[in-house]
Amino acid sequence: MEMKSRKARWGALALATGMVLTATGVATPAHSAQKKLTIGFVVHVIGNPFINQIIEGAKAAARDLKVNIKVTGPAGAEGDAQLTAVQNLAAAGVDGIATSVPSASMLKGLNAVIKAGMPLVQFNGFVDGVNAPYVGEKSVESGRILGKMVLDKIGGTGAKGTVIIGNCFPGFPVLENRSKGVQESLAKAPGIKIVGPSDVKVDAAANFAAWQGLLAANPKALAMVGLCAPDVESIGKVNAAIPGSKTIGAGYDLTTGNLAALKNGTAQISLGQTPFIQGYLPVYMLVDSIRNKIKLDKPGFINAGTEIVTATSVIEPFGSAPLTFARLQRMAASPSLTRIYYDALVKGYVRDWQKNLKPIADESA
Amino acid sequence: MAARASTKSRRFKLPEEASVIFALLLLIAIVGTLRPTFLKPQNLLNLAASYSISALLAGCIVYLLSMGEIDLSFGWVLNLSAVIAGISMIAGVPVWIAIILGIIAGGVMGAINGFLTVVMRLPLIIVTLGTASVYQGVSLISNKSGSVVPTDKKITSNIFFRALGGDIDTPIPFILIFVVAAFVVLHLTLHKTRFGYRILAIGSNPEAARLAGIPTKQTKILVCALMGVVSGIGGVLFLGFRGAVDPTTGANLLLPVVAAAIIGGTPLSGGAGTVWGSLFGALIVGVIGVGVVFLGIDAVWSTLVTGLVILFAIGVDQIVRVRKRRAS
Repeated sequence: MEMKSRKARWGALALATGMVLTATGVATPAHSAQKKLTIGFVVHVIGNPFINQIIEGAKAAARDLKVNIKVTGPAGAEGDAQLTAVQNLAAAGVDGIATSVPSASMLKGLNAVIKAGMPLVQFNGFVDGVNAPYVGEKSVESGRILGKMVLDKIGGTGAKGTVIIGNCFPGFPVLENRSKGVQESLAKAPGIKIVGPSDVKVDAAANFAAWQGLLAANPKALAMVGLCAPDVESIGKVNAAIPGSKTIGAGYDLTTGNLAALKNGTAQISLGQTPFIQGYLPVYMLVDSIRNKIKLDKPGFINAGTEIVTATSVIEPFGSAPLTFARLQRMAASPSLTRIYYDALVKGYVRDWQKNLKPIADESA
Repeated sequence: MAARASTKSRRFKLPEEASVIFALLLLIAIVGTLRPTFLKPQNLLNLAASYSISALLAGCIVYLLSMGEIDLSFGWVLNLSAVIAGISMIAGVPVWIAIILGIIAGGVMGAINGFLTVVMRLPLIIVTLGTASVYQGVSLISNKSGSVVPTDKKITSNIFFRALGGDIDTPIPFILIFVVAAFVVLHLTLHKTRFGYRILAIGSNPEAARLAGIPTKQTKILVCALMGVVSGIGGVLFLGFRGAVDPTTGANLLLPVVAAAIIGGTPLSGGAGTVWGSLFGALIVGVIGVGVVFLGIDAVWSTLVTGLVILFAIGVDQIVRVRKRRAS
């Protein structure tokens, strides 16, 4: 029996050693290359296709700038866990941190990290009052664009009927702004009745079920408008399950699933928020500011741009090169193709980030 | 012989939590060896402070687990309590009264859970499946699906916010001192009072406890109310610590809190429980979370590594436990 216990003990120690070796094997240690900067990159959810596109942008910047990058974030979107990840990265001695900011409860903690001298950039979601610049879309404006495109599809200002709006994360400021923009555009048609915004959840299965239920409750809806990444794909599946469905599907982000829904005609519009830029630019800003001693401790806004995509047209921001739907689909699954496409923006818009830094109020203008 | 006997008796007196403490120290040693900055006292204190609210909840969920029950709603009780306290403050209610209102609200929500369990004769896990959504829904309606942020200087300059938010310099974070004090109370209540013995008796054998004259229904309601009060305290502590409460606050607490209690040595089967063990269990969960960041483990790998390290910690705990049992 004693032998067994000893074996078990050694087994546990071997397991521990194995895990440590595995851990260090996948790590990018800050101390192994002292001159190489290490940037922490904190996302609000792990395993989301859209967030993965942002992460790939950040990793591309790290490769280009020859810095280490540590990507982390909670499994489920929760501000407190994310703030803890930021604080842990700061304690671990990274040189700069980029983080999305989904919660107001992160404000105090983030400002304490900034006050302690850590360069910080917000991306994808921000909170008013954080003393750091923000890289993201113009959220109200993108909502207006989406609302106008939906309105055009359902008959313009003379349209009459129901439009369903779904929000996967009620309370998330950027999503609330999008919702505001969509409703502003739809309000131009007095005959439109808006249902929602309903909580359609962020988890893919729950999101699909929510949209299915919403359409079942409003079978004559003219359009379903989602505000988050999983929506277009879910709406497409819901439409596909109803032969002859004429409900317009619209939403956000250019994941492979969303683009497939546009291609097969089960959804019609998806707006992108240039995830490559949302990942690349914050890392670039941090490295540039550290190397050239530029202070980042003030709020500000850099527009990451809005991409407007239907099955027949792709409009990229900042006068980027024309893009076909087929190439966009290939890019959605290929970080290297994406990097090549955005090379001109990297050499212009990204490099000149200081010129493009606007007051934070511009985000919701 | 006498020496051997004395060694045996010393081993016998090892606290129940020795194994989980050993596992915790081993994890700290591994991360600290690989990344010495992890061992900075300030860093360890910050780590403990960050996980103190989930530790507090773990300390109380031990009561429910000891009784053979589990509550799925405490994260949303915490959220709604914090929202009630925050909204009351913004509406002009004095800070300390708003805090008491938040805690009372937590107690009421817990008591509702207990009352429904007793009246409907259903396990608490089933009742709280429903009430969790109810409390979340009420919270979303109350905060208009946005964050509650008391920004008025009159509120934020109150000593409650200054002490918890770190504006008053103390060698040990105030929240940590409070939580350790709460653990002393929770430990003594479970192991040194008639109320605590009743909980353990119900968990051991509910029918025997009833036949022995223990008011099982009343005790269940009281334990649920206690869980609500502690969740309410957690909520107002969160509000003071972070200065705001979000619609998602508390949403992801269930797993780490229950894991902390179980890693700490409280069985799911009821009849036994260790409050201090849950504190060390929460710290293990915390060290794993922080360690993953310190070691620079990529986000894609971190979930797998976290799971493996939890299994490792439970394994070490079990080995020490078996050895201790043999020695005694």
